[in-house]
Amino acid sequence: MTRTQGFTEKAFRLGRAQHLIGVAGLPDKPQDGAGVGVIVLNSGLVHRIGPFRLHVDLTRQLNVSGYPTLRVDLSTLGDSNGTQESLSRRQQVSADVADAMTLLREQSGCVRFVLVGLCSGAGNAHIAACTEKAVAGVVFLDGYTYRTVGFLLRHYLPRAFRWASWRRFLLRRVHRQQVAPSAADFGHKYPARAEVSAELRDMLERGLKLYFVYSGGVSDHFNHRRQFREYFGRIAVHKHVTLSFFEEADHTYVLAGDRLKLVRSVDQWLQHNFPVKPSKTP
Amino acid sequence: MSEQPVPAIPGYFGVDNQLFGLFHGVTGPAQTAVLLCPPFGQDLIRSHRVYRQLAEALANRGIPSLRFDYFGSGDSSGNSIEVDWLRCQADAQAAAAELRRRSGCHRLVGFGGRLGGSLVLICAAAAEFSELIVWDPVVHGAAYVAQLDALQDQLRLDSMRFSQPRSSLDAAGQWLGFPVSARLHQQVSMVRIASTSVPTLILDSTPQDTPNEFAPLQAGGARVTSLAPTTVWNDLDRLEHAVLSPGLIRAVLSQLGAAA
Repeated sequence: MTRTQGFTEKAFRLGRAQHLIGVAGLPDKPQDGAGVGVIVLNSGLVHRIGPFRLHVDLTRQLNVSGYPTLRVDLSTLGDSNGTQESLSRRQQVSADVADAMTLLREQSGCVRFVLVGLCSGAGNAHIAACTEKAVAGVVFLDGYTYRTVGFLLRHYLPRAFRWASWRRFLLRRVHRQQVAPSAADFGHKYPARAEVSAELRDMLERGLKLYFVYSGGVSDHFNHRRQFREYFGRIAVHKHVTLSFFEEADHTYVLAGDRLKLVRSVDQWLQHNFPVKPSKTP
Repeated sequence: MSEQPVPAIPGYFGVDNQLFGLFHGVTGPAQTAVLLCPPFGQDLIRSHRVYRQLAEALANRGIPSLRFDYFGSGDSSGNSIEVDWLRCQADAQAAAAELRRRSGCHRLVGFGGRLGGSLVLICAAAAEFSELIVWDPVVHGAAYVAQLDALQDQLRLDSMRFSQPRSSLDAAGQWLGFPVSARLHQQVSMVRIASTSVPTLILDSTPQDTPNEFAPLQAGGARVTSLAPTTVWNDLDRLEHAVLSPGLIRAVLSQLGAAA
């Protein structure tokens, strides 16, 4: 256990097989029972501290704002082990998130949770939010996105007559051939849009609040706020859906200033949608 | 020798419990334990998996180890901007004391990659390491700092990463994703390691065309073993690729075979 001004961090081995490793951040001033805890999932293969320590910066800021947090390594990622169970990937992710919620409930008393995930972490947050009833909200960082006609027009028309764009295109082709096939990268695949849309609609009907954040780092797939409505339709204008587009930033927020903007944005979204109510008991 | 694996135990230690660590224990008695000092910044994240694999391989051979994060890094207390070279040395010594306490072993081997290797070399006497195994240690800090500064400047212009080039201001005071204080910048640039006070094995996985910086250490008795495949540490194209090195684990186990 380590104490910092305003919160305490505790490290745990947790889960149904004691196979997961996580670090809980617990504010000194507890919320009442209706408050939410925030669970941050792995981004790709990066362990629980997140790309460039993003998850540490984020959870500590949220602790200062009064939210209990858990940054956790899911099965086989980071420092966590696997289990001997015979589960599909979706079942395993949901079971791991349920384990994480149990731990944070025991430590903080909160019974509802917001999941945060970047890239594959957003995909895992989506999977867990489909089945876990205690999930009250999700922050999708560069989550699912789909190319649309609008995307293609915005992407290719301005580039067609620019030499720099052709050069970048060719460099990326070469880069993918030279580096990506042989290296352990952090890529993932998207499920079909109709499937994802149906699952998001179900989440909204259950009252979940959803925050979609896109970065300029996925500009090969997302290039304008308008695109979100192009592929998700009416979901995009639902009152419990929020969208941000950090066009300048890269996919993993490598610059400290970009990380700070993201952390503040998630903090503000949480405070707006899940305001902290201090416990009446001292 | 193969031991029953014991789950690694996460926890905090050091002054005010500010340091995070994972102790990889063993079931039977052990004579030697290994302190695994991580690299800094993005090197720490890239090599996290290989450090875990190494710790688990050591435990399977009956050798306990401790992985930990310096103040301001990983899961330890402190902001990234607060990483300080002298504090890191104190943290390594605190981690050595913690490992001795947990493992019951007085004989410690210090292991470190990149700047973690430099730290192990510098702390050898203070931490009372009996032996060192260092992986591509930084022995010439000024050159290393110049390389990181240049990469940081290239990073902001990297069209693979950013849609539009970023300003010098946006990228100032950072090394490949991590804020760096002027003090740390100066401290690392002053690192110069030309000798070692205890038996030392240098595992060299740098590309063959890299100038041999380890000659002074070799002249002082350190052994150098080349590792294949080579590790590309400073390449923006691989900035977020995990470093995997089965050869490293084999070499460390081989070196510690007699000790175990």
